[in-house]
Amino acid sequence: MINSEQVPRSTVPFGPQHPVLPEPIHIKLILEDEKIVEAIPAIGYVHRGLEKLTEKKDMYKSIFILERICGICSFMHALCYCQGLENLMEIDVPERAKYLRVIWGELHRTHSHLLWLGLFADAFGFESLFYECWKIREKILDIMEATSGARVIISTNTIGGTRRDINSDMLEHIKKTTYEIEEALAYIDKVFFDDNTVLVRTKGVGVLSKKDAYLLGAVGPTGRGSGLPQDLRTTNYAAYGDLDFEPIYETDGDCYARCKVRIRELYQSQKLLRQAIDQMPEGEYAVKVTQKPEGEVVSRVEQPRGECMYYIRGNGTDILERVRVRTPTFANIPALVHMLPGHQLCDLPVLVLSIDPCISCTER
Amino acid sequence: MIDNLNEIALDELKNSISNMNYRKYRLVTMSCVDNKDGSFDLFYHFDKESKLVTVKTKVTKEDEIPSITDLYFCAFLVENEIKELFGLNIVDIAIDYGGKMYLTADSSEAPMTYGANITIERRDIGYDK
Repeated sequence: MINSEQVPRSTVPFGPQHPVLPEPIHIKLILEDEKIVEAIPAIGYVHRGLEKLTEKKDMYKSIFILERICGICSFMHALCYCQGLENLMEIDVPERAKYLRVIWGELHRTHSHLLWLGLFADAFGFESLFYECWKIREKILDIMEATSGARVIISTNTIGGTRRDINSDMLEHIKKTTYEIEEALAYIDKVFFDDNTVLVRTKGVGVLSKKDAYLLGAVGPTGRGSGLPQDLRTTNYAAYGDLDFEPIYETDGDCYARCKVRIRELYQSQKLLRQAIDQMPEGEYAVKVTQKPEGEVVSRVEQPRGECMYYIRGNGTDILERVRVRTPTFANIPALVHMLPGHQLCDLPVLVLSIDPCISCTER
Repeated sequence: MIDNLNEIALDELKNSISNMNYRKYRLVTMSCVDNKDGSFDLFYHFDKESKLVTVKTKVTKEDEIPSITDLYFCAFLVENEIKELFGLNIVDIAIDYGGKMYLTADSSEAPMTYGANITIERRDIGYDK
């Protein structure tokens, strides 16, 4: 019998280029046979210095820079930044703009989660499921194109409200689409919840306990899959305070639980969209901003992947002194590193995908 | 205008962070700002039940700043980031990338500091030719 001390260790680089990774991250794996015993992450392949760039542009141009931190949650980046500056300059945003922000925010959450579900299915080799998820996502992208003129980076936020309104016909169309999405989801969620292929690859894999998730600073569905009911929408930013909302969480802490949280959040987003459309008041959707930001502020929103935080410091001019961005994947990498040891190398793609990594966000 | 901001001296930092850890606060992240007078503001942002608490300390490049990764392991990425991009001397980080997490050997030093030699230029990538 060979004891663990006699098993030779080998080092295997995972990434930065790997078929399962849409973006580059490198994980140095120390293996005993096929078992992972240690994992050290390395980032830095797509660092663009966008925080530095905001120190060279005026605060309005910076919105377009910050939206490009990440395509998938671009609206949320702009929202977090604009909300922070509005708080700093004590600007009262029109009620209609707050509801419009919820609508575009939940549309972004829906398309992000559907994109992730597709990639997750692809990670365990279920390609037809990947196509089904992305087919549903197209409906959201069509709405974003119809309401903003762009399919992913929609640029509808501005300081003081939104740059566009949505008319009543389009709101009715969005509402109708939410029912179609629920119907389509009911067709695929059975596969994610009950199919043996999915269960074998996700149940009991990558378990992160509630205590570890908290200590390691896990956020979003990664934390909520481990039983942490933390969701910044409970802080009532935008119009969330007027809507019926409870954080969704699961307690198993494995890849299956994280997947389940995201699917349940998809249903929840459709309900939030309908509530926001029904309750949205008429009126202005932006106010003119004459103030200049002076002082410092911290702003937080709940992105599809979890908590996003902006620290902003202004000096009374149009150009900000500092914009610091902490994105959810940056917070979830320590949790990923913690959950890898003890698993087989073949589980790695599913484990990495389970935190919904966004490396463009992480590196900025 | 940061809510729940506690300003402390650098020598009180470790005690203060230990206290947050004991009180079961989650570390959200750290932020660093160059004050353009040779000093830097270092912020430690914590959360408990969606309430944000921030600990702030003022440091210089010469100060030896203790790592908090023994209390919050998850701080290793952000500590490396600040060490590298601002040139601060953070010591005893659990996983220390030695200044090469983002930067390469030919990168300028501490590019996020005021007056760093950073050029932003528009490049002709030749797609239209």
